[in-house]
Amino acid sequence: MSARTADAVVIGAGVLGAAAAFHLARAGHRVIVVDRGAPGREGSGTTAGNLHVQAVHTRRPGQEVPLDSARFLPLQRAASDRWEKVEAELDASVELRRSGGFTIAETPEQRAELIAKHAWEERAGIATEVLDGDGARAALPLLGPTVTAATWCPLDGYANPLLTTPAYLAAAVRHGAQVRPFSPVRAVERSGSGWRVTAGTDAPIETPRVLDVAGPWLGEIAALAGIRLAMTPVAIQMHVTVRLPETLRHLVQHIGEGLSVKQVTAGNLLVGGGWPARRFDPDGRSPISAASVLGNMAQAARVLPFVRELRLLRAWAGPLAATPDEMPVIGEVPGAPGFLVAGGTYAFTFAPLWGETLRCLAEGTAPPVDVHDLGPDRLITPVSFEEAR
Amino acid sequence: MTVSHDVLSHGVLSRDVLVVGGGPAGLSAAARLAAAGLTVAIADEQPELGGQYFRRPSPAVLRAHGDHRPEGGRLIARVRELGVDCLTGHLVWGVADDGRTLFATAPDGAAVRLRARHVIVATGAYERTHPFPGWQLPGVTTPGFAQHLAAADGTPVGRRVLVAGSGPFLLPVACSLLDAGAEVIGVAEAGHPYTPSLRATAALRHPARLRELAGYMARLARARVPIWQGRVVTGASGDDSVSAVTLAATADPSRPVGTFAVDAVCVGYGFRPQTELARLLGCEIRADAATGDAAPVTDAFGRTSRPGVYVVGEAAGIGGVHLARARGRLTAAHILAARGGGDRREIVRLAARTRALGRFTALGEALYPSPAALQDALVSALPDETVVCRCEAVTASDVRAAATDRAGGDLNAAKSWSRAGMGPCQGRFCGFAVAGLVRAARGGERGEPVFPARQPVRPVPVETLLALGEQEPEGDAA
Repeated sequence: MSARTADAVVIGAGVLGAAAAFHLARAGHRVIVVDRGAPGREGSGTTAGNLHVQAVHTRRPGQEVPLDSARFLPLQRAASDRWEKVEAELDASVELRRSGGFTIAETPEQRAELIAKHAWEERAGIATEVLDGDGARAALPLLGPTVTAATWCPLDGYANPLLTTPAYLAAAVRHGAQVRPFSPVRAVERSGSGWRVTAGTDAPIETPRVLDVAGPWLGEIAALAGIRLAMTPVAIQMHVTVRLPETLRHLVQHIGEGLSVKQVTAGNLLVGGGWPARRFDPDGRSPISAASVLGNMAQAARVLPFVRELRLLRAWAGPLAATPDEMPVIGEVPGAPGFLVAGGTYAFTFAPLWGETLRCLAEGTAPPVDVHDLGPDRLITPVSFEEAR
Repeated sequence: MTVSHDVLSHGVLSRDVLVVGGGPAGLSAAARLAAAGLTVAIADEQPELGGQYFRRPSPAVLRAHGDHRPEGGRLIARVRELGVDCLTGHLVWGVADDGRTLFATAPDGAAVRLRARHVIVATGAYERTHPFPGWQLPGVTTPGFAQHLAAADGTPVGRRVLVAGSGPFLLPVACSLLDAGAEVIGVAEAGHPYTPSLRATAALRHPARLRELAGYMARLARARVPIWQGRVVTGASGDDSVSAVTLAATADPSRPVGTFAVDAVCVGYGFRPQTELARLLGCEIRADAATGDAAPVTDAFGRTSRPGVYVVGEAAGIGGVHLARARGRLTAAHILAARGGGDRREIVRLAARTRALGRFTALGEALYPSPAALQDALVSALPDETVVCRCEAVTASDVRAAATDRAGGDLNAAKSWSRAGMGPCQGRFCGFAVAGLVRAARGGERGEPVFPARQPVRPVPVETLLALGEQEPEGDAA
């Protein structure tokens, strides 16, 4: 088979791959997106779709290292600005809703954390307001008696992940990108000064740039190119109740525990917060953990007592790729010119920002935010992907 | 019925054997095991044991018409006499992280953990429904619902009823409707089973089964109910409820051949195994090419890929009540033998009977069109605007577009993109059609036959989850 060429090959048709493909294709680059399965079916199709603008809780259940909220916030601010333009850019609805969110505290320590994060948010230009327990209940009467404080951020919101990735891909295709689903990458090799990517049954693609945005498989793809990155695939759980009339307009999160609750456009209540599935299954659906169902739903019912009256409809698990320091990874791999990676937690919130940033990094222009400390250099390890898993 | 508190210890019930599903297969297994001295519990979501086939008539119907299936009443009475803990009204909806403990909700909403050395999954079957324009109208039901209403409550589903679909079950349903006082205007069967070859094949070894079928045919003939073969329902219409139904040739569903005035229509294409619980327990599943369904991989004794987990009855593959009972008894005999008891000759005898009944089932199936072939024919003729998923109001064109444009022919992806199967029924009604639409989008190549099994199997009150979380007994974790 004769080789094809592209200006960039994007590996992974999740929300990051789709956003990167859109920004590259719109700028006139010839882009081919490949995915091992159907587009947007893994982390990007199973995420809750929260837009986290105020500081997130710093630990998922089971997470060892807290993330650095102060470093996160300027990135969240930049992502928030870009979400405003997404529907116009893509000429599609992604059910974007900026109805604001509360982050709640139940203990004195958590309350202190809220106050500390409020100061960082001010510095990052994110408007938040600190409320005491009664103030929070006055603003959101659905909150229960254990809530002792909350921060309100009008920018928090939601987009439908089942619309967002397809909308990015469709817009990328309109700008000339090619999408090759069900084409698992079999080889990524150096070829002259560029790369040769072999995926599915197609002819190999010669390209100067490879964007590895394969989510939980990011490390596995990098390993094909001989690059060892310390990324750990993790599967986390989501829970959805039966539909109910519009009841909760805002996103509700917990500062000290893994909990996020919101009502989606269809009317169902979505409860998440990063509780672990029973295990990560790379070849199918990760099985859910009943203990996580019980734990997460108990928190939700404690913070929002009306949840007690509902019925749980379904639970599922989706993968994400965690870095050892819980911070995102984005940048070119040192010693592998043209090989870019992007991933890590909160990828959905960051997607519009990382899409634009990846285009700049691929073009060699200055990215919209400083990401020099988020590069993959800190993840390069002699440990293989299989061992890390 | 709620289990007394001496049965439950802190919300946990532990027995030698747990049977999930109190239909013919589950009851037969439970009776044999309890008679041998094992402690047995049966959990069933219905308020009384019997399942669909041995569903108990209401007291008023029992007084007026007697028991239509007295053997079911006798089997239930025997199970109770043997001291089996009968957890009726208990919905088993999930599996703990140890992969063995089952979660159930009691009728009062209380949470129950169920544990046993041997778990027998006897969850039965769903009716195989297929959408058509107008199937969401009141008055359109499944044959099983009409049968339930007629046999258990003595009430016909309508005054002028058309029964349609495929399979031998349509005949007793039509007879029950006649008995309940309805006018049955006809039975539309998608295939051509009722020909002289019926006698030639099935009568050879199973005259009793044939007599049963012939009895129904004679009853319908006496009432001058026509049986139209090679016909399928392709539409229903009406303002507030169904008033007319359209039939077409199975060979060409896009061309109508007749429209009939009705006030009820019952449409079903047989049954599909109810496999969610088996799948949640981690049992290996295979796709059945003839039915287009998922079926647990079991051996002759009902053993699955998971040690100590058995699947019997219709949940293991559709075969009818006699095969279901035989499979239940064979699994029970195998469990007894594995525990060092039981009777070798009993196993040999039951295995032979199960094989013979299995052969008869295969002969019977061969008379009717294969569900997978029907799936292809019906799906290809399904108009774009037909509502396929009634819970989420998703049309055939929505599913087709999702399957083609975004899902790349992946069933679960098509569910995500279209929302078909995401509602309270979790795809029980539309699953077969959605799988067919996705397969058509894939150019006919077979993929996953069913949506993934997800906890909870049915919507479960959050209160139940909170109670389970508070109980936190030892040994629940993986």
